[in-house]
Amino acid sequence: MSDHTEQIKTAENGFEPKILVFACNWCTYAGADLAGLSRLEYPPNVRVLRVPCSCRVNPQFVIRAFQRGIDGVLVAGCHPGDCHYTTGNYYTRRRFLLTKRLLDFVGIDSERFHVRWISGAEGPKFQEVVTDITAAIKAIGPNQKLCDYFPTETLLPNEGGDNQ
Amino acid sequence: MKRVGVFICHCGTNIAASVDCAQVAENLKGYPNVVFSTDYKYMCSEPGQEMIKETIKREKLDRVVVASCSPRMHEPTFRRCIADAGLNPYLLEMANIREQCSWVHPHDMERATAKATDLVKMAVAKVSHDAPLAKSFSPVTKRALVVGGGIAGIQTAIDIANNGYQVDILEKQPSIGGKMAQIDKTFPTLDCSACILTPKMVEASSHPNINLITYAELEKVEGYVGNFDVTIRRKARSVDLNKCTGCGTCWGKCPTKVDSEFELGMTKRKAIFTPFPQAIPNKPVIDREHCLKFKTGKCGLCQKICPTGAIDYTQEDELVTTRYGAIVMATGYELFDHSVYGEYGYGKYPDVITGLHFERLINASGPTMGKIKRPSDHTEPKNVVFIKCVGSRDETKGKAYCSRTCCMYTAKQATLVREKIKDSNVYVFYMDVRTPGKGYEEFYNRTTETYGAHYIRGRVSKITQDGDKLRVRGEDTLLGRPVEIEADMVVLATAMVANADAAKIAQLVGFSYDKDDFYTESHPKLAPVETHTAGVFLAGACQGPKDIPDSVAQAGAAAVKVCALLSKDMLETEPITSEVDTKTCAGCGHCVDVCPYHAISLTTIEERLLGQTITRSVANVNTSLCQGCGACTVTCRSSSINLRHFTNEQILAEVDALCQTIQNK
Amino acid sequence: MNQEAIQTKMRQRAKELLNSGAVTMVLGWEAGTFWYQSTPILIRQAEDADKLVWNDFCQNNLSKYLLDFRFTNEKIALFLKGCDSRAFNRLLQDKQIEREKTYIIGIPCEGMKDHRLAQSKNEGDDLPLAKICQSCRYPNPVIYDELLTEEVTPRQKIVDFSDVEAIEQMSADERYEFWQKEHTKCIRCYACRNVCPACNCRKCIFDQATSGWNSKDVNASENQFYAMTRAIHIAGRCIECGQCEYVCPANIPIMLMNKKLIKDIDLLFGDYDAGLSIEGQPPLGHFEKDDPEEFM
Repeated sequence: MSDHTEQIKTAENGFEPKILVFACNWCTYAGADLAGLSRLEYPPNVRVLRVPCSCRVNPQFVIRAFQRGIDGVLVAGCHPGDCHYTTGNYYTRRRFLLTKRLLDFVGIDSERFHVRWISGAEGPKFQEVVTDITAAIKAIGPNQKLCDYFPTETLLPNEGGDNQ
Repeated sequence: MKRVGVFICHCGTNIAASVDCAQVAENLKGYPNVVFSTDYKYMCSEPGQEMIKETIKREKLDRVVVASCSPRMHEPTFRRCIADAGLNPYLLEMANIREQCSWVHPHDMERATAKATDLVKMAVAKVSHDAPLAKSFSPVTKRALVVGGGIAGIQTAIDIANNGYQVDILEKQPSIGGKMAQIDKTFPTLDCSACILTPKMVEASSHPNINLITYAELEKVEGYVGNFDVTIRRKARSVDLNKCTGCGTCWGKCPTKVDSEFELGMTKRKAIFTPFPQAIPNKPVIDREHCLKFKTGKCGLCQKICPTGAIDYTQEDELVTTRYGAIVMATGYELFDHSVYGEYGYGKYPDVITGLHFERLINASGPTMGKIKRPSDHTEPKNVVFIKCVGSRDETKGKAYCSRTCCMYTAKQATLVREKIKDSNVYVFYMDVRTPGKGYEEFYNRTTETYGAHYIRGRVSKITQDGDKLRVRGEDTLLGRPVEIEADMVVLATAMVANADAAKIAQLVGFSYDKDDFYTESHPKLAPVETHTAGVFLAGACQGPKDIPDSVAQAGAAAVKVCALLSKDMLETEPITSEVDTKTCAGCGHCVDVCPYHAISLTTIEERLLGQTITRSVANVNTSLCQGCGACTVTCRSSSINLRHFTNEQILAEVDALCQTIQNK
Repeated sequence: MNQEAIQTKMRQRAKELLNSGAVTMVLGWEAGTFWYQSTPILIRQAEDADKLVWNDFCQNNLSKYLLDFRFTNEKIALFLKGCDSRAFNRLLQDKQIEREKTYIIGIPCEGMKDHRLAQSKNEGDDLPLAKICQSCRYPNPVIYDELLTEEVTPRQKIVDFSDVEAIEQMSADERYEFWQKEHTKCIRCYACRNVCPACNCRKCIFDQATSGWNSKDVNASENQFYAMTRAIHIAGRCIECGQCEYVCPANIPIMLMNKKLIKDIDLLFGDYDAGLSIEGQPPLGHFEKDDPEEFM
């Protein structure tokens, strides 16, 4: 714990990465909540996006986030065998085993994309994972690969999008 | 343009101590679609909720973001709150700025505030794409089907029936009772199996809410939770159950003798028979394969002598379709075919038998009237060897798993040999002794200490016949030396395995099974009697090897689940389910294969194309079965299947909202 | 059997099938504008059968053209090379075509010639096989009603991943540079998608303006999103026909990314060649409980 606080304090090279975490509702999101309940500090660089199951995360979401300039992405769900929907994370595993290698193949630094199993009881693991990832990404600097400025047609909320 | 109201909660100082809530509210003013933004000390308090409701009306808000604690905590609270103000409850999003912000970033208010702002913006982006959703309802048929009439099925049915619901027991044999009816005594109490089972069988048959369907099989299952349409094949019994009184005249006179399945071939039965004296219903069937009337057209004796005219040679199989709200699978198990252990000489040496044979040999109503006699020469064996783990815990020849019951029934049988034959010697070859159950370890200790059974740790390598003796060679791995025992009889504790047709039946009903064909529970810890298919439950050894107490406990659990389901008039289904855009769906069926709930199927639609009516296949989601995991959405390359409330558009909007703050830097 | 003999037999069989009424249409190839080009042709009349050709440039994968006849009830005969027949199975597995509505005349294939190189040569000059054909492991049709000739010997036994490995050996930045350069060339004509037998959606997400997946902007970022997304969509479903590269006007090495995924699938989930049979699920349509966890 003091290690992590130390890391937060010494992070002073000016660059603060922004990291997106796709967290499944049943395990990792609960694990992140538990980190909060236990007051486990970690760097404020991560933003959690809640999905029902890690198998809801389309690899295209990840590519999209890099396109839009995210510095790192973590997809996290229940441990194999513990999926609330029983088999969801097995599909997650297959899909992202390949996606990770593909991202690597097109030249995305492997530090920028991670998949982890974090259970609802693993508040400390959540803290540890996001702290480590933040430190690693801080070391390699901002992501410029794949990214582009916002194109003219976007899904910004003010343009509504159809809501059926 | 949407009208989103943003409400930032201080949670006393829980959030406000490390997040500048007023600043977050300020940051959101002017953000796309946000027409109102404020902060307040306790948003979940009565005045806080009142403020939200009033603001919804005053500002004509059409959706709401509450930034406070985890949605796992208060999402239901705020959904109710906005519903009270007339909004659809699914037009709410929460930003978790307590557990995932203020509490974990207590020392950097500036960055915690920036993060909170991001989280709220993501929530605004998502809520702007939220659509009103409604729970749907489907009626429930208040009748259950229990497949299998062994102890697990009987107990499940009794428990359901006692709760006031109608329940049918489907049994493929002519009588209910299952394996427990063949067992002599039960461990660890040594009470007689029939004495505790028979009253249950009678209760099941006489219960006003229970209907027995014996000598019948599952033919087809359609529908889903609440409304399964089950077609059952009632096999031709050749006996009219309404006329037959079970007097027994027919099987007394029948000239054809056949090996008795119930007695494992150790005695004969007739071609018209009941499987055992306490059978329920205690009315016979004609075994058409062996009956002379069916084989040669001659005989017909039973029909001639039947005092009630119940014999009907013209009966045919009958298909009956009934609607059930729930199904319980209690189809039980079979015993491992140990003929693969050629070295044990089963089939070759008549005095090498299985544990179940032993049960019949020692049973007072069995072929030897309860006297332990060797099959070969009907003498009383003095030296009896038991071999455990025959097929269990042996991946090369048998099954990898432990069958759980063999340690205890072997101890029981060893005890009974010592009790009945005072001058006997009992040897048990074992790998481990596993006694995890109430009173089990004590029972095992009595077997070795009081009854003096010799336990030898090791496998038997070979059994050979030597005159009228069996020579059992093995190794005592504790002493590290070979042992050889001259035995009169050897009893094999064969593994419990899934029924040969277990997989076929699972496919027919539509739920999953494991590599050993045991039925897969929905969750190994938290949903042990449910299957992935809503409305289908499990009881007993069809789910995995189990002893009687565990089967009965599971039966009770399954019954409670069934009653909870049947107690509802309507089933409420969460609206967060997948939906298919049939315009773009190509009907490739990839989503069908990944759905763990069998909620997706292909259906044919008709449409007009260039002046012609064409039919094509598209995916269709049964929202009563869909649990909203989203596995299908990623499988669909054309994004034709989407998950309500977690749509591609909503998630992309969140990603974009988060990343926009990077671009704006 | 030489090419001319095959061509003669091809025309003869087309005539017979049309005349007998066994089929109402025949899909084959005809001579194109240039000598190094043959293009697909659909014939309905027996007398048109003489338009059919079999030469070094019958690259087009005819299976994909069956999608245009999804809603006709007519029976179609078509000629399939080894790779085309894998595409046929792929389409069957995706439930996009019906076996009963087709009659497959398989052609064991000696390989097509490099049509790009041909553009700078004269007719009759010696030409190497197209790159994709050099590494062909399945020249013989895997599904057919009849074979036009004897089966031929596969040119390769195992997939040659040396081009993929060359990229893997680069640094991350070099890899990015490489792909950035390639994808900047992309004009998003979607020709690669249009010919791909694994791309058989009714409506591709890149044609759905309101889906929000990507914009119409043609820039490196959007092009990369397109390339990677397409690669993921056909992962475990690519039958290595190389049509994508064949039609790409910008000469982007599209198969390189597809082969990378094939290589990883073989490595992670066990050897799998799409389109060899219609049994079972493609690698991303199922899982094993003990799949590797190299980075979780």
